[in-house]
Amino acid sequence: MRQIAFYGKGGIGKSTTQQNTAAALADLDNQIMVVGCDPKADCTRLLLRGKRQATVLDTIRETEEEEIKLETLVNDGYGGVKCVEAGGPEPGVGCGGRGVITAIQTLQELGAYNGNLDYVFYDVLGDVVCGGFAMPIREGYAREIYLVVSGEYMALYAANNISKGIKKFASRGYARLGGVICNSRMVENERELVEEFARRINTKMIHFIPRDKDVQRAEINKMTVIDWNPDVNQAQEYRELAKKINENQDFTIPTPITQDELEELMKTYGVED
Amino acid sequence: MLLKCDELIPERKKHIVRKGEKGCGKGKGKPCEISCNVPTTPGDMTERGCTFAGCRGVVGGPVKDVIHITHGPIGCAAYSWGYRPHLADSDFHMKYIFVSDIEEKDIIFGGEKKLLNSILEANKEFPEVKGVFIYNTCSPALIGDDGKDVAKIASEKIKKPVIFFPCEGFRGVSQSQGHHVGNLTIFRDLVGTAEPDAPSAYGINLVGEYNIKGDMNNILPLFQEMGVDVITAFTGNASIDDLKVMHRAKLNVVHCTRSATYIAEMMKEEYGTPYIDVTLWGIENTSAALRETAKFFGLEKEAERVIAREIEYIKPKIEYYKERLAGKHVFIYQGAPRAWHWVQLMHELGMEVIAAATTFGHVDDYEKIFQKVKEGTLVVDNPNALEIEEILEEFKPDLFIAGNKEKYISYKMGQPFVNGHTYDSGPYAGFRGMIKFARDMDKAINSPVWKLVKEKANRMEVL
Repeated sequence: MRQIAFYGKGGIGKSTTQQNTAAALADLDNQIMVVGCDPKADCTRLLLRGKRQATVLDTIRETEEEEIKLETLVNDGYGGVKCVEAGGPEPGVGCGGRGVITAIQTLQELGAYNGNLDYVFYDVLGDVVCGGFAMPIREGYAREIYLVVSGEYMALYAANNISKGIKKFASRGYARLGGVICNSRMVENERELVEEFARRINTKMIHFIPRDKDVQRAEINKMTVIDWNPDVNQAQEYRELAKKINENQDFTIPTPITQDELEELMKTYGVED
Repeated sequence: MLLKCDELIPERKKHIVRKGEKGCGKGKGKPCEISCNVPTTPGDMTERGCTFAGCRGVVGGPVKDVIHITHGPIGCAAYSWGYRPHLADSDFHMKYIFVSDIEEKDIIFGGEKKLLNSILEANKEFPEVKGVFIYNTCSPALIGDDGKDVAKIASEKIKKPVIFFPCEGFRGVSQSQGHHVGNLTIFRDLVGTAEPDAPSAYGINLVGEYNIKGDMNNILPLFQEMGVDVITAFTGNASIDDLKVMHRAKLNVVHCTRSATYIAEMMKEEYGTPYIDVTLWGIENTSAALRETAKFFGLEKEAERVIAREIEYIKPKIEYYKERLAGKHVFIYQGAPRAWHWVQLMHELGMEVIAAATTFGHVDDYEKIFQKVKEGTLVVDNPNALEIEEILEEFKPDLFIAGNKEKYISYKMGQPFVNGHTYDSGPYAGFRGMIKFARDMDKAINSPVWKLVKEKANRMEVL
């Protein structure tokens, strides 16, 4: 069982990329579970074709502990992908980080990991703002991490920050960086910039996903691209990414760069008027 | 100096000094070189409490007619109840404890609703209360529960003051921070919110007097008899209504300077109320306290009459105990001020303080200790259990005066002990309290039980 976490700046396209990757891997007969770790609970929407499912934390809140059943927390989505949403509090109250910890521990206790799984994906919100959101890469859950970025400064800044977290936990022995996924924003020199950024933080750009309106078209239809129209070019891109992740054996401890170095990098590859 | 048990935490050296060493107490204006009111050194099993303990346990807890709600996990309630005998003329505040019972799901989704419901439910069960005090704990503070806003909403609903104390345990280095939070909150939210029916021209507040085991029964009559009205005791036997009118006192008489000078200072700034520091233990100190208060109001003659009568009453009894206690060596370990409050009282009984320690004293406490004790006296900041044991063994005091945490180690060591913290009998304040204090010290030191304990211990060793 490979456990993989996708991290990256909010709005960068983590959930879309992750669900399409999971769908592509499911097409190759892999048993997959996707655990959404965002209090908004929108990480499995496309796999479930828009169906809202009960979150782990809502269930914990509303059900007696002994009566919580794994079946109510896990919904089958596209290609038999098992979909789970941790859920969490409303914006501005409570502690979402603690929620992630509790949700993952609950899944563990209920035996969600005991099945015959090939992949578990964790989709974690934006920046790693506190210990709770680092839960998937602590305590031996996710061992491979992919950073979703674009060629924009804030996206790389967030990715660099997350790699600091990975480096911190690396000494405990498990989580490693599997690569950087560029979800293109059509920034100039984007491929070169992201490749160089990846090199500097001691990893590689595993795939460059071009910008394509079909992603939005599929999303409006509440589907992954793979599900909506497997023949379009973008579906092929996601299958390509899935294949690369499947074959990836190159896992590293990242070497985060300084803010100055990152700014320098932006200047070198950025737009020159 | 470094005690043997501190070999592995040499940082403790800075917290343990003997008067006369390193300029301490030598020459006026020279700072005492003892480190205090700083974070505990890792490895040092401190006896300090937390900010919650200082606010809930010491300052807020004695208020007798409000619901005291702990906003936190259930365990924070169990450990905040019943350990401090701050008595009143009613027992609601001693009998009941309320807690919002924060659980894991409340941490994730927020505990504000649960807190609000707790307040409403408690108020419904006990409609006779005059207000609600909420004490915040670590976990709701970390998740950012807005307890202050909940207090505001609850206050509008129940039409009574609901006061929120931000006394999360992790703030500060000891419970001392909790005293400060308690003072600030009561000053900001209560003092001056009502006017007395008939303001007294001879009104004082007894600030930092918590009526431990009824201390105020010995203190209040002294002031009353010389014509002074005690408007409010902060916070012994206090009603929330008393706290509201504190600002109309002419003078603040501060007893526990460590935990309550804050509010005296704030009242001085805001209302121009002067304050004096007093000690209400022992003959000389209690007399001085009454004289100073009387001088402020021009009641000197009345004060002298009260003092003379009281001294005449207690003198023969004190003489009796003095004969039995003279020459005995004492080790005093208290929260802070009592370590210096009692030095003079011991002199009056012919005893001598050979070691003084505080849990959370600040610089001003240690300055007072150094002023009062003899050269060579051991002074310890924030002692731990091993240090206490070593001091008892090495310095061999005839009497150890500390609190409940130290009681059983003393008994096990065959060490005469008096609970000065919460008084196993008491109360010890005022002129007449001194008789009980002396009696308990005599009972402890001259009890035949120690001989038996030692004989038994020796027999066990032989076996």
